[in-house]
Amino acid sequence: MLPAQFDGLMPVVIFMALAILLFFGGHFLSVFLAPKKPSLLKSTPYECGEQPVGSAWSMFNVRFYVVGLIFIIFDVESVLMFPVASIFKELNDMGQGGYALIIFLSFISVLIEGIAYCWRKGDLDWVKSFQHSLKKETK
Amino acid sequence: MNQTVVSYLSQYEFYDFLLALFKNNQSLLSFVIYLVLALAIVGMCATIGGLGTYAERKISADIQARIGPNRVGPYGLLQFLADGVKMMLKEDVMPFSADKMLFYLAPLLCLTGVFATLAVLPFSGGFIMTDLNVGIFYLVAISSLVGVGVFLGGYASNSKWSMLGGMRGASQIISYEIPVTISILAITLLSGGMGFGTIVGSQGGLPHQWFMFHNPFAFIATFVYFVGALAETNRAPFDLPEAESELVSGYHTEYTGMRFGFFALAEYIEVFVVCGVAAALFLGGYNLPGIKLDILPIQAVQFVIFMTKTLVLYYVVIWVRWTFPRLRVDQLMSICWKYLTPIAIFNLVGCAIWMVVFNGKSIAEILLGSH
Amino acid sequence: MFLQFLFISSALLTIACSIAVLITKNLMHSCVFLLGALVGIAGLYATLGADFVAVTQIMVYMGGVVILMLFAVMLTGGKDFVSRAQNLLGLPASMGNKWTYGVGLLVGVVFLLTNIKLISGITMNVAGQPSTQTGSTVNQIGHLLVKDHVLAFEISSVLLLGALVGAAIIARPRKHN
Repeated sequence: MLPAQFDGLMPVVIFMALAILLFFGGHFLSVFLAPKKPSLLKSTPYECGEQPVGSAWSMFNVRFYVVGLIFIIFDVESVLMFPVASIFKELNDMGQGGYALIIFLSFISVLIEGIAYCWRKGDLDWVKSFQHSLKKETK
Repeated sequence: MNQTVVSYLSQYEFYDFLLALFKNNQSLLSFVIYLVLALAIVGMCATIGGLGTYAERKISADIQARIGPNRVGPYGLLQFLADGVKMMLKEDVMPFSADKMLFYLAPLLCLTGVFATLAVLPFSGGFIMTDLNVGIFYLVAISSLVGVGVFLGGYASNSKWSMLGGMRGASQIISYEIPVTISILAITLLSGGMGFGTIVGSQGGLPHQWFMFHNPFAFIATFVYFVGALAETNRAPFDLPEAESELVSGYHTEYTGMRFGFFALAEYIEVFVVCGVAAALFLGGYNLPGIKLDILPIQAVQFVIFMTKTLVLYYVVIWVRWTFPRLRVDQLMSICWKYLTPIAIFNLVGCAIWMVVFNGKSIAEILLGSH
Repeated sequence: MFLQFLFISSALLTIACSIAVLITKNLMHSCVFLLGALVGIAGLYATLGADFVAVTQIMVYMGGVVILMLFAVMLTGGKDFVSRAQNLLGLPASMGNKWTYGVGLLVGVVFLLTNIKLISGITMNVAGQPSTQTGSTVNQIGHLLVKDHVLAFEISSVLLLGALVGAAIIARPRKHN
């Protein structure tokens, strides 16, 4: 006999399995239904009719990485805030709302500091980031 | 303990009959029930996704004073079936320089991420596949698989358009996840739980009991969530990853046939899921005004209410797409980080203070006296 | 029954993907296999009844860290993302000869035995029963965070602030001299 709480995870697994089944089922169908006439021209990457020059796998701008880094920090912060937020009402009903609020706000204020810093230093600018720091240093 | 659709059904007599039919094998029976309902939901969502493409074209035609699809079936209603069959009949082309394994895998990741979210979507009081304690958190987490899928789709194609679209898509999806998550945090704060049952249950059927009108901050959070959700699903005006005027078709430029179909299906179902979440979190979900009874017909009415709200939001999404022009990339990022995220944090702080100052009462309760 | 299925499939996914991370020579493929391994670990957490931790695993690692890794791999550019034929020590691309494999095996066996010795004391006493507590782990974590471990909770935000500032400074483009 399985504990009932794990029963609730079954749909998650079932839906994932259904996605995988649908995916491979669709591929299986298209093997039979779809024509198969490969040619070099067809399998050339689309570049508006030109011959593609070089590979698309080239170095990418660092700002994507910066966005990713900032995202992870915020992600972890929100993960930490979720359990506190979900008991906030309970604490408030128990009369400890002020205490919870202080804890919550002091956590968030550090988060706000972080975003204010990044904003001030121009890390949130998509385009100007480079020129911004360049200007700073030449001054 | 997690409330599931099986534990809901088990209070009815026919469950005992079914249980006898399955020789008292509880887990087998619940597996069968889950499987049948999951198939039903997937079928329904695929149909809604298909009809979504039809609605999109029809509404855009209306907005632009055209007729739109009207050839296949009455009013062109069967257009989506024709499109689906067409996709199946098309050849699967793969660029010769592509990363073959990831090229196969990318649509699967998108599809899995979207399908997994369906498990916690609250269609009605009983008909929620599983009301996980971490419901909304789970939904946000698992839908980030779509971002990986989009990125890998762009990367694996080894085409410049795809690569640009994939990079943009991934960074856009992860960026807009922040304001969305913080808006959801505000709602978690108000409802005192992350499960969809708790969240919807602490709202009421009438508009003044919805979280959208709970307090001014939640009202703003609704719009922050909605804008963020539009961006997360790559919908216009945030459809930069597949901006057809600059990136041909973005991350799925090189995808043809079924594989493209899976990307499209995942996208349309995700829009449906996002609208459903908005309806459940902010618009009172499936709540029926005034009725406390819990019998099966009521569940059907609740289902209809939920679907109505969701589909109205779906209409708004399409409406927005054909009304606003597309943003630039730098505008996209500054809207996320310089507007939505600070506003979302402000809302969160506001909701927390409101909870303490007014002891969790909504505006209507304060104005009309508590009840 | 389902629990066993969940455990076995997650464990197999984790092991298979971890091995694939090690053997594949393509960085991108490694990242994707790592994604699979992390999902498997989330499944293992779910098997233990730690729903919040499982979802956190998915949220932070799958949605954040793996995407960041993919971005980082893209930053390196490179012609084809396949590892070079030689590594730092000049060993061939198969990562070593009989000596390195031998040492690796020895370390692995010692590590395994140590772990078994450490864990056996714990697993003997559990008597094979999974956690059957009924309440949500989220509320317990929340109460612990605001009561017993409130300092850790607050300081973690400072830690994250430090990480954010550090990340921003390191990744900021500088003028080339």
